[in-house]
This record gives sequence, structure tokens and C-alpha cells, in this order.
Amino acid sequence: MKSASSISLTRRSLLTGAASAALLPLVGMPKASFAQENVVKIGFLAPLTGPVAAWGKPGLDGCKIWADWVNEAGGIEIGGKPYKVELASYDDEDDAGKARTGATQLIRENDVKFIMMLGGNSWPGVEEIAARQGMMVSTLLPSDLTPDTTTLIAPCEVHPIYNVTGVDWLAANHPDLKTAVVCAQDDALGKPSVATYLAAFEAAGITMASPPLFFDPATTDFAPVMTQLLANNPDILCLDTCYADYVQPLCEQAFQQGYKGKIISCTLDFYQRIVERTSKEFMEGVIFQFPDFDDKALNDPRINFKKPNEFFAEYVKRYGATEWSAVSWEYSSILDLWADAAQRAGSVEPADVLVAMKEGGKGKHAFGDARWWGKDLFGIDNALVGDWPVVVIRDGKATIAEFRSIPEWWDKNGQLLVKHMTDLGQMWNQRT
Amino acid sequence: MPDFLLQTVFNASYAASYMALIAVGLVLIFGVMGVINFAHGELYMAGAYAIVFFYVWSGLPFFVAVALGLVFVGCLGILMELTLFRPLRTNPLGGLIASIGFLLILQTLAVLGFGLRNQNVPPVSQGRITVGGAFLTYERLYVIIATIGLLTALYFFLRKSKFGWALRACAQDREAAALQGISINQTARYAMFIGAALAGVAGAMTAPLVAPSPYMGHSVIVTAFIIIIVGGIGSLEGAVVAAVLYAFVHTFVTTFYDGVIANIVGLLLMLAVLVVKPQGLFGVRERA
Amino acid sequence: MPEKTSIGGAGLIGILILAVVLIAVPHLVSFSQQELLVLLTINVLVVVSYRLQTLTGEWSLAHVVMMGAGAYGSALFAKSFGFPVPLAMIAGAITAGVIATVLSFPLFRMKGFYFLIGSFAAGEILRLIWKRFTDPFGGPKGIQRIPGFPEIDLGFIHIDFYDPANYYYLVLVVVLVSLWVLYRVEKSRIGLTFHAIHWQDKLSESVGVDAFRYRMLAFVIASFFAGLAGALYAHYLSTVNPNQFDVNTMVYVLIWTIVGGTSRWYGPILGVVALTIVDEVILRSIGVDQVRPLLYGLILILAILFLPNGLESLVIKARDALRNRGGANLPNGQAVARK
Repeated sequence: MKSASSISLTRRSLLTGAASAALLPLVGMPKASFAQENVVKIGFLAPLTGPVAAWGKPGLDGCKIWADWVNEAGGIEIGGKPYKVELASYDDEDDAGKARTGATQLIRENDVKFIMMLGGNSWPGVEEIAARQGMMVSTLLPSDLTPDTTTLIAPCEVHPIYNVTGVDWLAANHPDLKTAVVCAQDDALGKPSVATYLAAFEAAGITMASPPLFFDPATTDFAPVMTQLLANNPDILCLDTCYADYVQPLCEQAFQQGYKGKIISCTLDFYQRIVERTSKEFMEGVIFQFPDFDDKALNDPRINFKKPNEFFAEYVKRYGATEWSAVSWEYSSILDLWADAAQRAGSVEPADVLVAMKEGGKGKHAFGDARWWGKDLFGIDNALVGDWPVVVIRDGKATIAEFRSIPEWWDKNGQLLVKHMTDLGQMWNQRT
Repeated sequence: MPDFLLQTVFNASYAASYMALIAVGLVLIFGVMGVINFAHGELYMAGAYAIVFFYVWSGLPFFVAVALGLVFVGCLGILMELTLFRPLRTNPLGGLIASIGFLLILQTLAVLGFGLRNQNVPPVSQGRITVGGAFLTYERLYVIIATIGLLTALYFFLRKSKFGWALRACAQDREAAALQGISINQTARYAMFIGAALAGVAGAMTAPLVAPSPYMGHSVIVTAFIIIIVGGIGSLEGAVVAAVLYAFVHTFVTTFYDGVIANIVGLLLMLAVLVVKPQGLFGVRERA
Repeated sequence: MPEKTSIGGAGLIGILILAVVLIAVPHLVSFSQQELLVLLTINVLVVVSYRLQTLTGEWSLAHVVMMGAGAYGSALFAKSFGFPVPLAMIAGAITAGVIATVLSFPLFRMKGFYFLIGSFAAGEILRLIWKRFTDPFGGPKGIQRIPGFPEIDLGFIHIDFYDPANYYYLVLVVVLVSLWVLYRVEKSRIGLTFHAIHWQDKLSESVGVDAFRYRMLAFVIASFFAGLAGALYAHYLSTVNPNQFDVNTMVYVLIWTIVGGTSRWYGPILGVVALTIVDEVILRSIGVDQVRPLLYGLILILAILFLPNGLESLVIKARDALRNRGGANLPNGQAVARK
């Protein structure tokens, strides 16, 4: 079975582990590293076990591929010297206390030069350590950014701002659709996303058929949720940033309850299954924001993610297709950005890399060159935004319809987003 | 509007069905063994993964896979009884801790064997029945039918058979039952098999509808405890009535307000029942 | 259970050694283990106060939510009302105590398993309220940037409580004082009544003990100290959110308490210390990643099967063995005299 490769527990590692563990309470144990060559360590601090592990573990798996490829190619040349990349991971279990312990270990014991986090619940525990140690940290949730978080960057997932591109595309291509409904799980991911969709709909002249519907993350039956959503016969059904476990049953319920309109969603993981469980006709034209990485459109020269098709193939080979998700490539794309900045800085020190990364206010985002932005929303320009793909299901297959610009939308409709974020209490200065 | 109401009734009936299966299993285990089985949600999860293994991977017919899932999860129950609950018979808190340990093991095994992400179960049937503007899919209908069938069978088993009599005797008073010559160990084994198998069937039957994931047990265990408390622990009938009551209240509040409010209402309902009738709707006074 | 109140020479040496270890330990461990040490010391207060609550025979599942009430209370007093942090911490603990008082009225109508689940429901409602009402509780993201414990600057000495070693000493003092108070409560008439209610519910009522009042008292005292632990936690991590106080965390408190044992005051401490070292230090260091919960589960099962009376039973046995060996020198040892 595929899982065998992911268990690294051998008898020997268990024995040496048990022996060193006996000493560990007294002396911090530095991991053995290669003395003869330069090694730069990157920290990975995200949930690897527990219910939120799906947002961390696949990312670590992707980073392992990235590191293997870089090291096989002889490492990264920084300041004239080749550096091998080593990953140091710590399971924060999505908890601030464990994240604080983990950050301390990664920074002060493993001597990492950069830390990648999922963010959210865990970030507040790390905030002050990162500030005091001058450690550069990345998050997948830009809502962690505030004016004080000068070393925190959101260089890949600018969730949920990119959702405007889908709505923008929808309005341009289907001007006849006039009313929408939106639902989301009631949590830190759902709320800012709802605000974004509300702003995008308003900007496109689409009215809401009913107020946003929030459901509890422990919901197991989505039939009542869908019954309520469809009560006013909306033209557009927006599934917001619902987790994969919810998107599938929500789509099925919409299908079964006879919904005929358009569906737009942030994610649509395992869409093939949803097609299988509903129908090709029903899913035709569903809009979302995450392309398949075997999509040939990603080979476009403006894309900065290296070898996306090969990366996807290697990932599927190592871990199985069902383990692939957006986070599988996102953390790796952050590593691309980091490596590029370190090369330009000629240094692996966090402060130097950060300066190089933000130089000129521009950066190489996975989906094309982008600008550092965010002051009006987060109080700091530490989120990297540029183009984002609009993905549409055509004949049962996800295809990139267009890359659309987030900054262009923002320049026209920024105040609407600020208004809706304020209404839902999601602005940085409103957060308690 | 009548369609809308009828649709909500259909939705609630489905929710009531699988929750009743889970809750009756939990109540049976508590009644006979006096142990709080915290791993009950993970037995439900194991049932769902049995479908992934037997139906999706091995290609067996769905209902054969459900039957195998029933036996498999039932055997997990017996395993728990033999290795955990029997040595801890006089130590209910120890049993609770052991079941938490078992829960962690089952979750991790699911992650290792099947991966972190949720599994795909192809549809068993795309059919549906339509009443006016409301409808009920066959997949949901099967869950309702299976629940009614199994619970009816369980009712007659408990009323008519010798083991049923022994089970009820143990649930009422274990020491007295032992004095009557009833084998506590054997009865406990039966109770664990049936209780676990019911949770397993609930997981197996709903697997095509929920896309199994390793942590899915979390979402049902709390509800199951609320239901058995409202119904009165030790009362199988109470668990069924409470499951129906809870599912209807929860589904209607979710449909007309939202899911978070529905959870708060569910908890308040339970507290209200406990304050007015501290033994639950159908409960008897707890043994000292 | 009567225990010696006077401390012998051996006991005194033991206490001295313990004091030296407690003072020296932050300097013997790594940086990340210092962080663990702070959280562990806070958790010691959580489990010891939990044990007091269980003395009356009722097991609450709201204890972690009471810790949360102290954490949220203290955070809000400090952040929204500008209380100085030490004062806010005490106010937070009092808040938890007051909430426990109010909850006592519906909860102590129930007993046994009903109380267990009833307390869970009450706690869960409180937690869902924090989650649902963004103002003032911050919703699912909770409260962030909670002010830390103020620095002490006396010119010649400067103590920054962000440093885990310093915060550890602060927590240690608070926890030791709290443990002493909890110990005194248990040994007082009130504590003896708790035990009496547990073992002889009807009997103690028949001699005029108001069981409800004592159950409530145990619940309120335990909640106060849980709230204090929560306040220490909130101002250390500078964040609180509803997930930190969910049923999963409560399950861990239960595990620590029961695996440690509850018949002695030190039982839960043994549990929380041993299991934290196993999970956070040993299992993490052998690099088993995803298998960690499985091994932890296995250890729990083995612990409860082989030490059904908790880790404390090892200490009790060891002490009895020592006592018997000492007693063998005496002519007509107690055991012989009884025969």
C-alpha cells in the first residue's frame, strides 16, 4: 500500500531514538548534519496530525520533492557557495502553545533560516518569537498580517482575495445571472471569504437572494443547509471556501434538490468524484480557483512555479493521487520564492532574504509576477498578489479559463472589499 | 412552502436514522458494561472505511460490503471487550481512558492505511422518490430502512431470546444477574458486538453520503452522548425517541436559522431535559 | 486517609532536593523544553484543581472550559478594561469561580454519568458563545495580542517575563501557593466532608451535611484555580481561542488525571509530568511523525491496564516497601502485633 513509504519508523531509528530520548531531557540534541558542505535549514511548522493535518502534511510532502530536486541538482548557489536544503519539521497540532515550542526549537536549536507555517490558530503563539529573533515566517492565511508583523509574509495563498477573479470572470461571461446565495463554515477561513464574495458580487452588480448562511464545522448532513440556500431560487450558488469534506456533499445536495443554476466555489478538490456522483451536465461550467497541476496552461512562460506538470506526476507517484491538494504545491512555491530571494541577496540570513524578496515591491508569485500589497486590508504590504487562475469545469475536466488580475479589480473596487470586511469584522484593526 | 417543510422532514428522518443506530449502540454498551465508550465515533468511522475497503477497493456489492463491515466492526467491539473492558471491569474511568487510547489508535491506522484526505465512495444508486416538490434519494432511503429493520430485529432479539433476557438483566443490575447464573463475560461480549456493529452499520450505510475521513468520528460522538442523555441512559427506546427529537429540532433550526444556533439549541434542550427530569426522558434512577 | 503531618529528616531532605530541582530545571533543559516546562507547570495546576473537584465523586467535563473562562476573562479585563495584568489574572480566576457558582444550580441536580455529560453540555454552550459572538470574544479566531506579564525593572535587576525561564519561576510560585491552598482545603473539615460525600452520600446527608453546598463548593474552588491556570496561559501565549478549550483538551486533562491516579494529591502531577515527557519529548524525538498518536494511545492503554490505580500506586508501593523494611528492625512490628 502507498502508505508504506511514508512510515519512516525502522527498528534502528526506534532504538537510537529511544537511547537519545533518554538523554534528551538534559541536553538538547542537535541533528547530525554534513560538515563538509553548506546546508541551509528551512523550518516547517504546521499541523501534521489531527483534524487539521490535511492543511499541513501534504505541504510537507510537496516540500520534500522540492528539496530532493534541488539537492539532486547540486543545491542552490547562494553567495558563490552551493547550499544543500534540509527541512526541519515540527507538528504544531494547530495549537498556539505547541507552535511556540516548535518555533523555539526550529529557531534556537535547529538553526533554521526561514519558517513556513499554515498560520491561523498557531500564528499568535509564534508572533513575538519571530519578532524578537528576526525570523522570517510565511503563512497561508493573510489574515494573520498586521502592521506589527514585519517579518511575516503571505507570499502564495492570498486567500481569500483571489476569489474576486472568479466572480469577475463569471460576470463578464454570464451577464444574465443576477442573484446569488453564499454559505460557509463558521470559522476563521469562512468569514473573510464570505466578505470577499459579497464585495465581488456587489462590484459585478449581482444581488444577494438571501443573507450569507454560516454552518457549524461539525455538520454531517448538508441537506438542510442546501434546502435553505435554494429556497429563493438563486441564479448563482456560491460555496465560498468550504473544506473539501463539505464541498462534495453540498454539490451533491444541490444536484439532488434539483438546482439548475451556476455554482462558484473557492476550492473543488476531487472534482472528478463530484462529477461521478452528480452528472457531467450538472457540473459543466462550475467555476473555482485551483487548477490541476497537470494543466498544460501552467507551462506558460509567465508561470514561476517550476515544472508544475512533473511536480504533480512525482507527487502522485510518491503519495498517491488522493493525497494531492492545493497545499501540496503552495508550500513548495513559497520555497521557490525564498530560493530566488536568497540567491539575489547572496545570503541565507532571514533579514537579508526578506529585503531581497520585497525589493522594488515586486515578487515572483507562483502564477506570475506580482506586487507586495495589503496595506489597506492588513495594515502592511506583506501579501503578494498578482494574477490568479479562473478554473472552469469543461466536459468533466478542470481547465484554466483565464488568468485574471487581482490588483486590477482592487484598484477599481477596493473600497467595496473594505466595506464588507468591516461589516463582518475582518479588518486587521477590528480583530480583537 | 409545504414542499419545503416536507423536504425538511425527509432530511430530519435521515439524520434521525443514523444517529439512532449510533446512539442505541452506545446506550447498549453503557447499559451492560457501565463503561463510557469514547471510541464509539471511531467505530462509526471504521464502518465507513470498511465500505472503502470492501466496496471501493475490493469491488464487492454494496450490501455485501455493509454486511462485512457490520461483522468487522462488531469484531472490533469484541476485541475492545476482551483486551480493554474486561480487565477494567471494576474500573469504569479506566475503561474510559482505554477507549480514548483505542480511539487514537484507530484514527492513526485510518490515516496510515487510507491517507489523510477523505475517501471517495461511488454512488450506490442515483435513484430517488419524489413526493410533490420534495424528494428522498435511494441512498438516504436505504439508511432509513436499514435503521428500522435493524432496530426492530434488535427489539425482538432483546425481548424474545435468552441472550436478550440476559442482556437486559445485566443492564438492570450486573451483580444480581451474575447471581442468577448469567455469564457477565459472555453477555458483555454480545453487547459489545451488537453495540459496535450498529455504529459500524451507521458508518457503512452513510459512507457514500459523507466521504469518509479519519477524523469523522468527532462529529457524531458528541451528538450521540447528547441523545443518550436526553433519552435516559440504559433506555434503548429512549435513545430512539431522543434521536428523532434531536434530529428534527436540529434539522429544522439549521434550515430556518443556522447550524451554530442549532447546536446551541440542541445542548440547551438537553440541559432543560436534565434539569426537569435528571434521569432523562425514559431513564431510571442510576445505580449507586 | 490519615497521613503524617510532621515531616521527618528524610522528608526534609526530599523537599530540599525537590526545591533544588524545581529551581535548577529551566537551566538544565533546551530552549524549547523551557517552553514546555511553562505549559507543563500550568497544566499541573489544571489537573490538581481537577482532582479537588472529583473528590466529591462527581467528574466534570467543564473543567477546561472553566480554565477558558479564566483565560478569556483575564484577557478581556487586561485588554478591554485596562486592568494591570496581575489584577486581571485574579479577576479572571474569580470570573471562572462565579460562572461555576451559577452553573452549579442546574448541574448539581444531576449525578454520576448525567452530571458528567450535563457539565459537558454546559461547558460547550459557554464555548459556543465565545465562538458565535465576535464582540467581545473574537469569534473562532479568539482574542490576540493579549498584554504579557509586566516586566520588572529595578535598575540592577531586569526581569522580562517573555523569557520562558522567568515566566516559569512566576508560574512556579503561583502554582506552589495554589497547591498549598488546595492541600489545606483537602485536609480541612471541608475536604473531609468532600470525601465523606463521595463515599457515603446518603449517610452524610442524614447527619445534616448539605451535599449540594459541598459539591458546589468543590466545583467553585476547582474552577477558580482552573481559571487562574487559564489566565497564566493566556498572558503567556498572548492568545486565546475557543478551540484551545474544546473537548479534546478536556480529554487530555482526564487522561493525565486518571493515568496519574486520584487517591493522592500528587497522583495527577505524576500523570501530567510523565505523559507530557512521553508525548512531547520522547515520541517527538524519535521522529515518528504521523504514528505519534498511535503510540500515545498504546501507552495509555498499557498504563491503565498495568497500573489501574495510576502511577501513584507505584509511589505508594515503594513507600510501603521502605516503611516495612524500616519497620522490620523494630521488635514486634505493627503487622506482627496485629496477629
